[in-house]
Amino acid sequence: MNKNSPAYLALFLAVTAGIAGGALYGANSLTAPVIKANAEKAEKASLLEMYPDASIDDFVVVDAEDIIADHPSVQGVYKYGDDIVIFKNSVSGYDGGTVFLVAINAAKDTVDSFKAISNGDTKGIGSKITENAFAESVKGKQASGQLDTISGATFTSKPVVEAINECAEIAPTVE
Amino acid sequence: MNRMQNFKNGLIKDNPVFGLYLGLCSTLAITTSINNAIGMGVAVIFVLILSNMIISAIRKLVPDDIRIPVYIVIIATLVKIIQMLIQAYAPALDSSLGVFIPLIVVNCIILGRAEAFASKNGILDSALDGVGMGLGYLLAVLSMSVIRQLLATGVLSMTNPFNEAQVLFSIRLIPADFTISMFSSPLGAFMTFACLAAGLTAYKLHAQKKEEAKAAANSKEAAK
Repeated sequence: MNKNSPAYLALFLAVTAGIAGGALYGANSLTAPVIKANAEKAEKASLLEMYPDASIDDFVVVDAEDIIADHPSVQGVYKYGDDIVIFKNSVSGYDGGTVFLVAINAAKDTVDSFKAISNGDTKGIGSKITENAFAESVKGKQASGQLDTISGATFTSKPVVEAINECAEIAPTVE
Repeated sequence: MNRMQNFKNGLIKDNPVFGLYLGLCSTLAITTSINNAIGMGVAVIFVLILSNMIISAIRKLVPDDIRIPVYIVIIATLVKIIQMLIQAYAPALDSSLGVFIPLIVVNCIILGRAEAFASKNGILDSALDGVGMGLGYLLAVLSMSVIRQLLATGVLSMTNPFNEAQVLFSIRLIPADFTISMFSSPLGAFMTFACLAAGLTAYKLHAQKKEEAKAAANSKEAAK
């Protein structure tokens, strides 16, 4: 084949890309399990902040593919002890939205603990969701019932409250 | 001799950052701490050496028309591999360097050396060129990060990249009341860069003048 014909050039590029893909596949299969373990550890570190007395092995990662498919705000599900189900949620807000963890006692239908991981809304207004006052205000309340939003920051807090209600419905079904 | 000269050029005279002004985007962005600088420098050295060697090895096979896409594929593959390794074994570094690791792909030092050097020279020479240029980059980001970290936080410190909690050293040289936080912002990056680049240019001019004076003296003597 002529070295400058388009077919040769295309073939050469395809072979190069193929070899590159193979190398990447090898590297990926080598590192993917380690990366996954790291991510899980980082996740569990924030769970530990909710339950300082627990050890990292007390949290069990729940295979939540079905839940995530039905409830787009849910990103991960963990179990702590027999009754407590912890959900990692990401909801949209005024601007950047909120990522938070909520622990629900499935037997009693109460909010056991709440922790906001990040908030991308207006500083000083929407970001109130990350302050202790909000976490304290929902703690111990009935998870599927009426929860107070933050006045002045409705755009931020309403999706969060709704997501907590949603999680309360899922919690009893999590094994 | 010639090889050594190439190597030394990359380090000081043709320093990719302060001499050739290549790869500035990442340099300005990541030089806020020594840890970041060393992590980025090592990643760039790794990619640069391997891409130079591979490109030099296949330089006679690659058709001229598509050499740039082929180089980019090779460089992107290497960068992706090192990104995965960093994510797996140094997650703290991954979160602090963030998007600048994948952006090594478009770092012009790497494509520049592939095009200007590796595609015309043998494997050993190309590898050495990669080491020299890579060390030049490391030296540049390291010197910038030392200055910026010191002025912005007053502390020179380094942690083990594979284990965040392990602090290798941490010395406070400037009391906390006298630090200049501006140096951790982009403005400080530009100022540090400008001063260092000006310093290198001044040094080069000085060396050039000295050489010219020597050459003039030599020719005078020859005329006698």
